[in-house]
Amino acid sequence: MISPRLIGVHAGSILRELSRVPAFIIPTILFPAMFYTIFGLPYARTSPQAADNVLCAFVAFAVVGVTLFQFGVGIATERGRPWERYVRTLPVDAETRLSARVVVAVVFGMGAAGLVAVLARTLTPVSFDAVQWLTFALYALAGAVPFVMLGIVVAYWCPPRAALPVTNIIYLLASFAGGLWVPPEELPRFAAIISPYLPTRQYANLLWSIASGHGELAAVAALCGFTVVFMALATIGYRRDERARYA
Amino acid sequence: MSTITFSHVGKSYGSTVALDDVSFEIQTGELVALLGPNGAGKTTAIEILLGLRTPSDGYASIGGELPRSLPARRRIGATPQTTGFPDALRVRELVAFAAAHYPAPVDIDALLAAFDLTDLSATRAGDLSGGQQRRVALALAFAGDPEIVVLDEPTTGLDVESRRRLWEQLRANTGARRTTLFTTHYLEEAEALATRIIVLVEGRIRFDGAPSEFRAAFGHRRVAYVDARGERVVCDCDDPDAYVRELVRNEVPFRDLLVTQPSFEDVFLHLTGAAS
Repeated sequence: MISPRLIGVHAGSILRELSRVPAFIIPTILFPAMFYTIFGLPYARTSPQAADNVLCAFVAFAVVGVTLFQFGVGIATERGRPWERYVRTLPVDAETRLSARVVVAVVFGMGAAGLVAVLARTLTPVSFDAVQWLTFALYALAGAVPFVMLGIVVAYWCPPRAALPVTNIIYLLASFAGGLWVPPEELPRFAAIISPYLPTRQYANLLWSIASGHGELAAVAALCGFTVVFMALATIGYRRDERARYA
Repeated sequence: MSTITFSHVGKSYGSTVALDDVSFEIQTGELVALLGPNGAGKTTAIEILLGLRTPSDGYASIGGELPRSLPARRRIGATPQTTGFPDALRVRELVAFAAAHYPAPVDIDALLAAFDLTDLSATRAGDLSGGQQRRVALALAFAGDPEIVVLDEPTTGLDVESRRRLWEQLRANTGARRTTLFTTHYLEEAEALATRIIVLVEGRIRFDGAPSEFRAAFGHRRVAYVDARGERVVCDCDDPDAYVRELVRNEVPFRDLLVTQPSFEDVFLHLTGAAS
């Protein structure tokens, strides 16, 4: 049974721990805003349409980063240290602990994505009205679900020490080829070919649909598909780890 | 109903047998020492009790619940392995974190004081010395004021003063509604503290009873001295007092007289039938 109070206790503990590690905070919260400023801003200022598209792409970049690091690196690190063995003797279930990570990811995600949104809003001619901003926030949140699952896949399929480099590679390659840094039509040929098959691209498509008004259903369907596949892999990895460590 | 039940528990890792047909029941109020040499299966037994492992045969239960279930875990407090605290968290935060999981936790300040951690409450776990980490680990087992406290090798790495405090804490904690189970290598510790001793050897229970019975069974003492020729004489006997009186009466010239308890290794050899 999920305990809201214990979700708070665990989320608070993770937040406290992470907030004391500058090496974590700075890249996850600030890098998307930095990338936005360096690579997105010049183009975003050219037209409202460009402003919308760049905003969506870099918010996607921010959310994917936070999610992959929180669930991939976070769980992998936890799983590899002896403290985990102790926490498992405490009366708290796995669902509560996973929920606590969701809370942490939302907090960091709002920080990272919020910073990009504030920059876009103040420096570029973004055309979103209030309803579109709301839809945007909702899509940004819902579209993160497959990346939660992908993170868990990495956490359980990689040795704990490999989780960080693996996450970095997946994150950066998928962000680039997914069209989060440069518009999909300007991607090099090979990247353009694989781009539609990447969850990052589908996530961006979902957000872009708010301004363009099309492509929404296809993106949702694709993201659901990714969620199912990643969830299956995550479950296999999780069970295998449970058997190895706690059978 | 028994607080802790092990019923024909067996555990193998591949072809290695860690526990073999282990059965015991522990009632509320007992202070039990689980004694055994390395590799005897103590850790596996504790892991099963804490729900970290599941038995290959038989079953274990805490008050009728499976050890892995939340109701069972709410009744147990355990120690973490020392080396693995989250470095960035402070001592008080670690203790408060553990306490927050239990329905009626202890007063955290009092607990910190009991383990001599008051001055360290704002220290990050990563900055603690080995002995300090040990004390934090022990405090965590008591943080939730659980009915059952399980301590794996609690006095390893503790200085004399900390060890004395822990013994006091264990005695105070055990009673009408509190049960303690601890593992140890030290016979002396088990005899001084426990109301019951369970000895595991090679995955099987070789002794289960009161310390007085244990002493009766393995209570010989070792008398050692240096004789007139400067040679060391060693004798294992059941009544060292009588032996020494005998030496004096017969005017045997001796110096550096030493009367010691057998080490656990001696008892272990005794138990396994090897020459003692």
